[in-house]
Amino acid sequence: MILVIDAVNKPKFAHVLDEMFRLRARVFGDRLGWQVEVVDGRERDVFDDLDPAYAVGLDEEGHVVSCVRALQTTGPHMLSDVFFDILDGEPPLRSASLWESTRFCVDTQRLGRGRGRNSVSYATCELMIASLEAAKRAGVSDIVTVIDPVMDRVLKRSGNAPYDYVGRQADMGKVPALAALLDCTDERIERIRAFSGIETDVFIPDEAALLLPAIAGAGTRKTPLEDYCDEQIATACNARERIDAMRLKAALADRVRSHSDISA
Amino acid sequence: MDPIEPDDADKTGRRFRRFLDTVRERFELDHVAYAGINPVTGTSHGFMTYDIDWSSHYLENKFYEIDPVLHKARQSIAPVDWARLERGAEFQTVFRDARAFGITDRGLTIPVRGPFGDVGGFSVLRDCPRREWEMLLGGIIGELQAAAVHMHDTIIRSEPLSRVLNAPSLSTREIEILQWTAAGKSQQDIGDILSISHRTVEVHLRSARQKLQALTTPQAIGRAINLGLIYPR
Repeated sequence: MILVIDAVNKPKFAHVLDEMFRLRARVFGDRLGWQVEVVDGRERDVFDDLDPAYAVGLDEEGHVVSCVRALQTTGPHMLSDVFFDILDGEPPLRSASLWESTRFCVDTQRLGRGRGRNSVSYATCELMIASLEAAKRAGVSDIVTVIDPVMDRVLKRSGNAPYDYVGRQADMGKVPALAALLDCTDERIERIRAFSGIETDVFIPDEAALLLPAIAGAGTRKTPLEDYCDEQIATACNARERIDAMRLKAALADRVRSHSDISA
Repeated sequence: MDPIEPDDADKTGRRFRRFLDTVRERFELDHVAYAGINPVTGTSHGFMTYDIDWSSHYLENKFYEIDPVLHKARQSIAPVDWARLERGAEFQTVFRDARAFGITDRGLTIPVRGPFGDVGGFSVLRDCPRREWEMLLGGIIGELQAAAVHMHDTIIRSEPLSRVLNAPSLSTREIEILQWTAAGKSQQDIGDILSISHRTVEVHLRSARQKLQALTTPQAIGRAINLGLIYPR
């Protein structure tokens, strides 16, 4: 089941994002040996502060088993700001209909071998289907994805072979990185579905995800600041006061919200 | 659709408002609105097809300080259907009044991000049943994305400082592909010539159009020739 988290619903899923950053630390920091910064067991970079969209794979319990991150190529993204070696000094592609996908990974510890529901192969395909379908629904026609040769092979073996590459292979720490192009078309999605045997809807709605044990158990506590703001809005005597209270909450939005992300 | 032409004489932004009118008519929408901020110059911009009564009511009540369409929807990267926004006090306050002015809450905001921290939100509205709304969006979402980024880029670049920062920076490949296109080659031909897939050609053309603030390939070629990036044949 894939949960899509962005700026709109992230206050509800701070715990899921935290688990995702830990998974990324284990995969990119430990297992793959990429040049990434791991702090306190979590791998985060500046692009995570820009409110990207994440597609996060959850198991039946609500634990994170896979994830990928998407950014618009019209704004700051990794190919323009970090992976410019791949582009050999050339300016990156910039288009409303092109998204960049980075940090694709699955949890090989929690998942098993084979092709069943709790296998690495299933989780990988489920996440690929979700990424393409979410992009397509957003009116995005193509994805440029920064991957290593291992992931490149995984894509090719799953009916999801890139149709081309941009730039050249460049060294990123222990491993080379490359930028591959994927079209968000029904044909590609169909190939991955046929390969994996996944026929059902891969997305889980917010309300259903909130009921999964690991997520319901973690709760979504409000910060004291948010409590205070809501109380001020509720107890306002007139419209003027109410709007002022709401303006205060909006002005403090960053602090009201982001606290829950950090503390979870 | 015609692109928005650069025009320094248009101080009030009539051409931006005209572009929104075109989008509204073309896609049979009730209203189209754009709001964006540019931290480089510290300016904010807003254009809309709403009647003057609602726009002034909105401004007088400083709804822009609480409107979740601006504060939440614009932060996402995918288009945000307003059905996703929390029906909190902020939403209720803005949309209760909106309804009184005949403005629906059936809407969608396309968030736009530029390279220097500039952000915009391009909103479209139509009062209709859910099913009709989803069918409408399914057919036009790609074109709306292109229109949203075009609108945002043109507005941001109407400011001299941002125009310098955002001067179109095309890659060798993009220029090469524009040059072959100007010479009358099809995407398939160009793919064969450059040994890349025809879809790669298309992706580069889209990017070149975006960078040159054009909505179609012929417009992009015209601008590339004017800028001396390619040569007419």
